[in-house]
Amino acid sequence: MTGETVPKLRLNDVSMNFGDVTALSPTALQVGTGEFVSVVGPSGCGKSTIFNIIAGVLAPSGGRVFIDGEDVTGRSGHVGYMLQKDLLLPWRTVLENIVLGAMLKGGASRAQREEGVALATRYGLGDFINHYPSALSGGMRQRVALMRTLAMHHDVMLLDEPFGALDSQTRMAMQQWLLSVWQRENRTIIFVTHDIDEAIFLADRIVVMTPRPGRIQEIIDVKINRPRPVSSLIQPEFVALKQRILNIIYQNASVEPDEVIANG
Amino acid sequence: MDDGTQRGRLFLRIFYPIFAMVLLIGVWGGLVAYYDVPRYVLPSPMAVAQHIVDDWPALVRGFAITFLEFLLGFIFGAGTGFVFAVIMDMSRSARGILYPILILSQAIPIVAISAALTIWLGFGLTPKLVIVALVVFFPVVVNVLDGLASVDKDVLNLARSMGATQFNTFRHIKLPATFSPLFSALKLSATFSVSGAVIAEWTASTSGGIGAYLLQANSRLNTAGTFAAIAFLAVLGIVSFMLVFAVERLLTPWNSSSKARLWSRSYWRG
Repeated sequence: MTGETVPKLRLNDVSMNFGDVTALSPTALQVGTGEFVSVVGPSGCGKSTIFNIIAGVLAPSGGRVFIDGEDVTGRSGHVGYMLQKDLLLPWRTVLENIVLGAMLKGGASRAQREEGVALATRYGLGDFINHYPSALSGGMRQRVALMRTLAMHHDVMLLDEPFGALDSQTRMAMQQWLLSVWQRENRTIIFVTHDIDEAIFLADRIVVMTPRPGRIQEIIDVKINRPRPVSSLIQPEFVALKQRILNIIYQNASVEPDEVIANG
Repeated sequence: MDDGTQRGRLFLRIFYPIFAMVLLIGVWGGLVAYYDVPRYVLPSPMAVAQHIVDDWPALVRGFAITFLEFLLGFIFGAGTGFVFAVIMDMSRSARGILYPILILSQAIPIVAISAALTIWLGFGLTPKLVIVALVVFFPVVVNVLDGLASVDKDVLNLARSMGATQFNTFRHIKLPATFSPLFSALKLSATFSVSGAVIAEWTASTSGGIGAYLLQANSRLNTAGTFAAIAFLAVLGIVSFMLVFAVERLLTPWNSSSKARLWSRSYWRG
């Protein structure tokens, strides 16, 4: 594996200004192959800006983005991404939505469709491949959206509050499902959320961001063993981590310096 | 049991319109008989039915001609409107130039255009097609433009990140988004188009049609003939609406069904 020498994803002093406003001050971040990194912070902290820069939808004002050592700054199509809105096409079946990437590139081959069917079957939507999205529940729609992202075969997947619109039970089920998908498919995931519980429950590392100007305040290791059952949500380590992140975000207490990894 | 109630509902959906028609004709016949209305003011339903039977070939020929005018004009107008909308969606300057012309085309009454078209295009089929096309054109442009603009920016970003070409983005994302608004425009203008065809036939016609038939019957105080033509026009209006409705069901299965149709290309059989 090249993970040791070349990180999967590297942000090199990436910054973003909109006019006079600094949305993101120079930021460095490295993510290893197969790592699950959560990004948390209040609104205005620049997490969506980071997301859009990595996705290549936005060109940064300064700095470069590298994937596998290749400079992809401002170029889209190198990562898979998924938003809170599922963005499923109502006029396409579940299967066609899963293989949408191939269809948009000129048509999904039989092999690609078969792979889509296999994905749907593996993750519990095998009976719905010929249904239209309108027939699915919110949780099922997000699962289809994630399969569409998986079918793009990008090693890096960006998820921007993908479960933000779901009710809390569905959300919890989706988080566990996402972990099982991640472990099985061996992808690198960057997960943006404002939900601290969700960030801790899912991630290997948590990037905590603060606003004015948007920047990375701290990067924290999550040392909770996997697989993580729901009960890990009330484990002492979990609660302590949550306390610490809350403190950073609301800045109403000092932060213990251990476990803090200076970024870079 | 569930199946039974569904069949009952279907029965009622067929029964109510038929009952309404029978009721309407019954009231009409009853009033004519009760007040002894003269035949040249309002003929009885029986007299109209008799006229339809007597003059069946002429009525059917007229129906066919007007239906042809409707169908060709409708397809032509909807097609042109669609192309205009796509061009206007792609280019800001095209939009700026074409919009005032579009609004102007709507501001002028159809009857006035109809007279001018007779001068330019003669008495045949062509001016009728143009009138029908003009009726459909504007609603189609406006609704298709709306449909194209309604596509979520995030979906377009996603398509771009997937490496989609312009053409494929149009084909898979923008084009299907226009279908629902397109068909609401077509359903609204289907019956208006029939009126358009009739007005065009009234202005000048050597090619016949139900409108011309109506005008002739009316000028001879043949009220039974007039009402027969009206009945045929009503049927024509309903047929045109049903036709649009059927095509919509065919082209937008996702609006009426939870699953892709078995025979469609979308359906995966494994």
